[in-house]
Amino acid sequence: MASVKPQRVETTSSQVLTDDAVETVRPWNVLVWDDPVTPMKVVEVIFKRIFGYPNAKCTQLMLTVHNEGKAVVWSGQKDIAESYCVKLQVAGLQSTIEQP
Amino acid sequence: MFIKRRDGRIEVRLNEAGRNIVYEAFGHVVAAERDPEHDWHRRLNAPIDPSSDDDNPLAMLTRQSQISTNAELAYMTRNEEFINEQEAWAWLTTMQIALRETAATNGILNDEKWNSADDKLRSQIQTLQAFLFELAECF
Repeated sequence: MASVKPQRVETTSSQVLTDDAVETVRPWNVLVWDDPVTPMKVVEVIFKRIFGYPNAKCTQLMLTVHNEGKAVVWSGQKDIAESYCVKLQVAGLQSTIEQP
Repeated sequence: MFIKRRDGRIEVRLNEAGRNIVYEAFGHVVAAERDPEHDWHRRLNAPIDPSSDDDNPLAMLTRQSQISTNAELAYMTRNEEFINEQEAWAWLTTMQIALRETAATNGILNDEKWNSADDKLRSQIQTLQAFLFELAECF
């Protein structure tokens, strides 16, 4: 086996990213849509189990879905948003993702 | 109908008629996931990102697999007197899918349609709602 000597990598000032150089990526939203038959308690339980939100936040999100027809329940990276959307759909809620 | 015990298990106190309702609901979800011709199949494969022509195949496969797993677990445990938390979650999610699909298949997509639905359908939906509400209280 060949031995490899570790080498220190020199960092120049031009390689250091500044705040201005960081590219901002718009987050993806996970939406839950209202339906006329799902019990409110079930929606709260699903939010708590999937996101681990406190009870008050689950209730607030459930009421937003009920009163406004939809709610943004999570925002962030696309792959994670997709994963949450799938979990919500598997739990029987109507959910989609969007990048506003 | 569902009582959470100190050891974490959930006791299922459904009579024969109640068992038959969940048996039918679970059976429909198992069939719908397997059969592309089933009335519920298309909605179980609803878009994840409606702005895109195609969803991520991995996400679609994960959804299909998880719905099937839950529905089959619920179906297998339909006659149990006690179910554990994982089984109870499978019951809840599968019953919820059955509830939503029963409503959607019968055109109940808003409160007006729900208010004008016939008594037999309303009774069927209200029974599933009652089961779901009580089961949700166990989590």
